[in-house]
Amino acid sequence: MDEMETRLVRCFSSVFPDLAAEQIRTASMETVPAWDSLAAVTLVAVLQEEFGLQINLMDLPELVSFVAVQNYVRKHDTGS
Amino acid sequence: MNLVEALEILKQATPEDTHPLRTFLACGFTPLHLQTFLVAHLRERLPQQRFEVKTGLFGDVAGSIERLPSAGCDILAVVIEWQDLDPRLGIRNLGGWRAADLPDIVRSASLAAARLEEALRRSSAFVPISVCMPTLPLPPLFTTPTRQASSYELQLRQLVASFATAISSESSIRVLNTQRLDELSPLHARLDVQSDLMAGFPYKLPHASAIAELLAALIQNPTPKKGLITDLDDTLWAGILGEVGTEGISWDLDQHTHEHGLYQQFLGSLASAGVLIAVASKNDPALVEKAFERKDLILSKANVYPFEVHWSRKSESVQRILKTWNIGPEAVVFIDDSPMEVAEVKTAFPEIECIVFPNDDYQAIWDLLKRMRDLFGKNAISEEDSIRLKSIRGAGALRESRDGAGASLDDFLQAADASIRFTFGKQAADTRAFELINKTNQFNLNGKRLTDAAWKNYLNDPEAFVMTANYEDKFGPLGKISVLLGRIRGKSIRVESWVMSCRAFSRRIEHQTLKQLFEKFDAEEICFDYQATPRNGPLQEFFAQLLGAPLPAELCFSRAAFSEKSPSLFHRVEEAVNG
Repeated sequence: MDEMETRLVRCFSSVFPDLAAEQIRTASMETVPAWDSLAAVTLVAVLQEEFGLQINLMDLPELVSFVAVQNYVRKHDTGS
Repeated sequence: MNLVEALEILKQATPEDTHPLRTFLACGFTPLHLQTFLVAHLRERLPQQRFEVKTGLFGDVAGSIERLPSAGCDILAVVIEWQDLDPRLGIRNLGGWRAADLPDIVRSASLAAARLEEALRRSSAFVPISVCMPTLPLPPLFTTPTRQASSYELQLRQLVASFATAISSESSIRVLNTQRLDELSPLHARLDVQSDLMAGFPYKLPHASAIAELLAALIQNPTPKKGLITDLDDTLWAGILGEVGTEGISWDLDQHTHEHGLYQQFLGSLASAGVLIAVASKNDPALVEKAFERKDLILSKANVYPFEVHWSRKSESVQRILKTWNIGPEAVVFIDDSPMEVAEVKTAFPEIECIVFPNDDYQAIWDLLKRMRDLFGKNAISEEDSIRLKSIRGAGALRESRDGAGASLDDFLQAADASIRFTFGKQAADTRAFELINKTNQFNLNGKRLTDAAWKNYLNDPEAFVMTANYEDKFGPLGKISVLLGRIRGKSIRVESWVMSCRAFSRRIEHQTLKQLFEKFDAEEICFDYQATPRNGPLQEFFAQLLGAPLPAELCFSRAAFSEKSPSLFHRVEEAVNG
């Protein structure tokens, strides 16, 4: 697990405290009942804070799983 | 605190067996991260407390407050933004920013503020309220350039200031200080336009955290410190008195020692608000006496008691001062320019807040004064604050008189010319009674503390009564020194709380209180919700003397048994109803 993934797991763990690290890596809106619109907005805020990203809320529909979020962050993270 | 830290705090377990503090967060926007930050900051300040948070309806902050049932929550936090006064003052509404709309916006904002004021006043009768006035920048709807204040903008700011002024006079409402918020959160870094438009949450995260931090502090309302012990040389004044003499010490602009004048002025302000000020100085007592005769000294000698001036260790001075004041070290601040003296006192009294006076650092003086205002600041100044020093001086005189006269305690008390005014009434505005219950340790029936809401519930309970006592004798007034809460069941009285200020010990006020209680309610028995605590030894001693035996689990006195054991009482007694 690289450093970025570790930080991402920590972000998910903050928003979804009931998920174990292994569950987080396979988490999606479909498999996690707590992943509602409120949690999605909180997750975006946490990601912005952790990675210094400016996430457009229009991109929310893309961010439906851990893997999707991971890909999004890899694409937009400038290393801050 | 950032959002991840806040969420981590929320994940930590809280004690299951504690009654949760029911918190209602009223705001017109989606509470989202503000709610997270508020609970996190509250839990950081009160880690043993559980919080249950409810929120109101989106876009209806006034309605949310109006619909709040009495006894429906223990804490009410209200965050008002401009759009709550008129939706056109936010950016989510397209109701029109035409020049012709501006007078109507001001008019409707005025009506909304009046409605909010009424709702807050009504709710303040049953719940303590913390209010945050609009914090976001006004949108650019005015016709003037942004560098120029529009008359309409100024009218809006004026009406918010008037609204805040009006509610701040209510004893149960605390208004968040926008100047403090400005320090924590710069105006340009507050509004999150995207989040407001997409999620209905208008704040950038650091701003939400800053509001929550200050609201949590308002809600916690920490107990202010009671006394300040100060050094003299290079602290209260510039210069070493023993070297430069009384005319050589200074505290003015001409000699570039003005910071010491500011410090003196601040101590005078604290003294006027009932804070005890004492001096601990390694110095020649005669010289200090002479220095305090200087007419231009800003801190009056009358504001200082006691003076500990000699060459012994500072910690010994502090020990004697605490004994004279009869307060614990946790309620005291010690200030000295010598880091070594500060370390010596800190080692002896770790609970004391010890501060090194920052000589020749002007900015640090400013920061010190602000820090002290936070340590000593209180919601309101009571009558007791204004007589505290006088009553402590009186207690000193009383001790000297009693110890020196060689007369019996009965003779002494008879000659004290004491009077007690008992009041049976329940007044929400009686902040002194509430304060006594929550800060008294030594003569305290069970150590039970009350939240603002529990106090209000008690006052609204028709079966409960509140008895307070004000004391005065020839050595001076002590003010309101005792509070007793109880319920009457036929010929029996159940006392649920009873506290008495340590300043009032050794005057048999506690005996007189029980005597009056029996007589007032024609009771045959008084039972107490007694609980031993690590600090209520004086109360245990009082009961043990009355009983002549170790204290039983269920503590009750019959009228006959009390009369038999009670010593002679010499007070003149008055009774007042509702103060």
